[in-house]
Amino acid sequence: MGLKHDKVVPGREDRVAACMAHGGCASGMGKQDKICLKNNERTFSQAGLCQLLPTLGMLLTLPDTAVIVHGAIGCGSTGFGMNTAIRLHHVLRGNPNAKDSLWFTTNLDESDVVHGGEQRLEETILTVAEKYRPQSIIVLQTCTPSIIGDDLVGVIEKVRPLIDIPLLYSHCEGFKTKVWATGYDVAFYAIVHGFIEKDKEGPPPKKGPRQPGERPVVNVINLASMGKPDEIEIERLLNEIGIDVVIGPNFANRETVRRMTQADLTVSVCPTHDDYLVDYLHTEYGIPFVLKDMPIGLANTRNWLLDIARHFGLEKKAEELIEREESKARQAVQRFLPALKGIKVFISAGEFRAVVTGGLFQELGMEIVGLRSYHHDEFGTEFYEQLVRAQQGKDFPVDIANFQPFELINLLQKVKPDLFCGHVYDNGWAAKLGYPTITIFRIFDHYVGYRGFYEVAKKAARNLRNPSFQKRLGENVGSAYRPEWYQQSPFAYIKTDASPAAAA
Amino acid sequence: MSHIERPRYQCALGGALVTINAIERAVAIVHSAPGCAASADGAATVGAGYWGSTLTDGRATPSTNIIERQVIFGGEERLSEQIASTLDVIDADLYAVITGCMTDIIGDDVRAVVSEFQKQGKPVIVAETGGFKGDSNLGADFIWDAIVTQYLTPGLPKDNRRVNLFGFVPAQDVFWRGNLLELKRLLGRLGITANTFLTPFDDLKDLKDAGRAALNVVFSDVHGVKPAAVFEETHGTPFVSEPLPIGPTATEAFLRRIAARLEIDPARLDEVLAEEKAYYYGFLTPLTDLYTDQDFQRFGVVIGNVNYSYAVTRFIADDLGWIPYLVAVTDLLTDEQRASVVARFEEIPEILRPKLIFETDTDRIKERLNEELASEADPYGSPISPAYVIGSNLDRPLAAELKAGFFGISYPITNRIVTDQYYVGFRGGLRLTTDIVSALVANR
Repeated sequence: MGLKHDKVVPGREDRVAACMAHGGCASGMGKQDKICLKNNERTFSQAGLCQLLPTLGMLLTLPDTAVIVHGAIGCGSTGFGMNTAIRLHHVLRGNPNAKDSLWFTTNLDESDVVHGGEQRLEETILTVAEKYRPQSIIVLQTCTPSIIGDDLVGVIEKVRPLIDIPLLYSHCEGFKTKVWATGYDVAFYAIVHGFIEKDKEGPPPKKGPRQPGERPVVNVINLASMGKPDEIEIERLLNEIGIDVVIGPNFANRETVRRMTQADLTVSVCPTHDDYLVDYLHTEYGIPFVLKDMPIGLANTRNWLLDIARHFGLEKKAEELIEREESKARQAVQRFLPALKGIKVFISAGEFRAVVTGGLFQELGMEIVGLRSYHHDEFGTEFYEQLVRAQQGKDFPVDIANFQPFELINLLQKVKPDLFCGHVYDNGWAAKLGYPTITIFRIFDHYVGYRGFYEVAKKAARNLRNPSFQKRLGENVGSAYRPEWYQQSPFAYIKTDASPAAAA
Repeated sequence: MSHIERPRYQCALGGALVTINAIERAVAIVHSAPGCAASADGAATVGAGYWGSTLTDGRATPSTNIIERQVIFGGEERLSEQIASTLDVIDADLYAVITGCMTDIIGDDVRAVVSEFQKQGKPVIVAETGGFKGDSNLGADFIWDAIVTQYLTPGLPKDNRRVNLFGFVPAQDVFWRGNLLELKRLLGRLGITANTFLTPFDDLKDLKDAGRAALNVVFSDVHGVKPAAVFEETHGTPFVSEPLPIGPTATEAFLRRIAARLEIDPARLDEVLAEEKAYYYGFLTPLTDLYTDQDFQRFGVVIGNVNYSYAVTRFIADDLGWIPYLVAVTDLLTDEQRASVVARFEEIPEILRPKLIFETDTDRIKERLNEELASEADPYGSPISPAYVIGSNLDRPLAAELKAGFFGISYPITNRIVTDQYYVGFRGGLRLTTDIVSALVANR
């Protein structure tokens, strides 16, 4: 099965044996039994995300689209944070008059829980189509209608002939998977089925072979969290070696998504994010892919570019570009290196982003002393080993955790890094402990490619130069955890099949 | 019920969660699917001027994160495990179990699970707050009900100079912390100790002993009224509903009512009123040239929840001297609650009484306003020019369309950060005047 034939997107714990709870060291990653890992649980846990949230975050980026969250009122109330980011994205993309995202809740109440919500959903879709005239409508099925047995697909197929715009849908009930990254797959599913498979014009035909002299076109799968500056860097590098790009499907309209079926190669910037879509384009359209690296840090960027260039016999051009760019970037970061040399860094983010950013820090002369990944799957495995090797075998602890700040805080107090680099909503925990922080992504900044290498070095040096905001916070903020907690292993509440959690 | 465009509130779980999050040394234990706590908290904290997270909220909120297995086999065992581990790990004095849609639908007996801990003397309370039961305001009522009946010490003697302040739903009132602190300061000047509960400076002991209060003041005609009734029944403290007092006129009226009720020395009252008014007019008076020369009187369009829509309307009518034109109340209300809001608006003199609508959807508010405008023929343009919209960030496009001034005061607010700002009282009224008029001169 795959994206085209799956009736419902499988949870990533089943599809790629993703693990959400593990504590160990970097050198041991990939050596555990995958099934055991995937079954690990916590006996104390803190709020995670559900798959609805990344799905919503991605689908709200589609321009002029109305999202209908089918469920109780709260699932549809969470768009405001995403809305601000998405509006700024559109502004960065050259649209200063970007409108707010548009979303709805079907607002299921107690009576609907008893009587079913299908009729409400149908009315909502038809009203939204008629009144707001969006370019497409997306329906997201949440926990409540799923439990009460609403037939989402039935309603969708009933109204599809009645409206003249693409209708996308996805099952993204939070209770169905503990791996919220499944939400990426769910969003891809909605996009592909809505704009390609079930589009009124049907799927576009496969493209014929490239004509001699025709520039190759590659799909670059973007991320809702990746800013325009990074897309510009990717486009610049690929254009310089003679490759044109189509960037999507985030922020893309129907036409752009359909154009993605006509490319010569699909390139991922985050393999663990994209494999479900990449596989679809490969299976259904025969488009080969590169699903291995993320162009962050010099070595990773080099590998990423060469893998792509190799597909089109452009290695020589790529090598020339890489030499030129590396030399410029290395020269540019010289002035930051003294401040960064030997700095002990802790990284926290989605697994792939975390490990490649680790590589970048090592290239700047820094040492990784701890890493937290939101989940673990096979895409990241080999990188841990590389990171340990790159710092002469100095191992470091790894926490696989869907956030769980109690583990992070415990671990930070044990490894005491000089610098913390984290995903949105991670930096605060480190800052309140007094550690200098830099954010691992921000949509206005560069992280990718050579410009990204330079900007991250600059950002790290700048934050290390004056961390007094965090330092003062650390002196003035208390702890939410009992003192005994800091005496325990940060992984004490992880329960494996083999050994129940010590504290349980 | 029907669908809602971009709802201006979270679900019942969300309202209960943010209430607990705002209480110092209280922590929520969310018994629900993995995204519920993060989703509700995220919406509330971003929309409330980047309230952010303290130490045990946001992604640090203890949560059972139940998935399909528990939905099929029940989640009671998992809840029990999570309560025990939370007591071990989190350093708090009140643990509130709140539930989401999933656990309410599958019918976990959460009260039985919690009662096991209560029997051991653990400070654990429980409220069933499944999201489908209603919005954040209702959820706040649920958790207050639980606090009042399960946490407060019963049978305490009354202190006739002590009051509890209710009716604030954190984030739904973006300025709840500042507002509460200013109300506490004002009442304190009259010799009244006011318990606020929801600011970072409150002591949980005051909540535990809240039954000592002689009076509960509910700053809403709707929110917090039910738990106040339960409070009266359980602990014998009566309550009054008061509009949120913004500006000198409303605040003076409020303080006079409270002073009469608690038999405060009239001389002291007059002294305090005179000083506070002097502060307001001391800063306002020098603005008179600007205000009158530039003709800053406006037709007002006010959009917000029950509490703010009335309070702001009164302020612009009574103190700023504007013409309230249309007021949209965006809360989900029962017929009875609507009637109480209508009755409150009828206290506004007829010549200044605005058209009052109840509407949840931003787009429908615009439609209803346009219908209203169309009914008044004005051959030279808009009958409400010059206009000013006081609402939420969602209402900015409406203001732009009307070529009206705009200031955001109701949820969601994402274009500024909110710390200790407040709009209640004399000084809050001055702040509101400052902010509203600043928006009119912002491009100069």
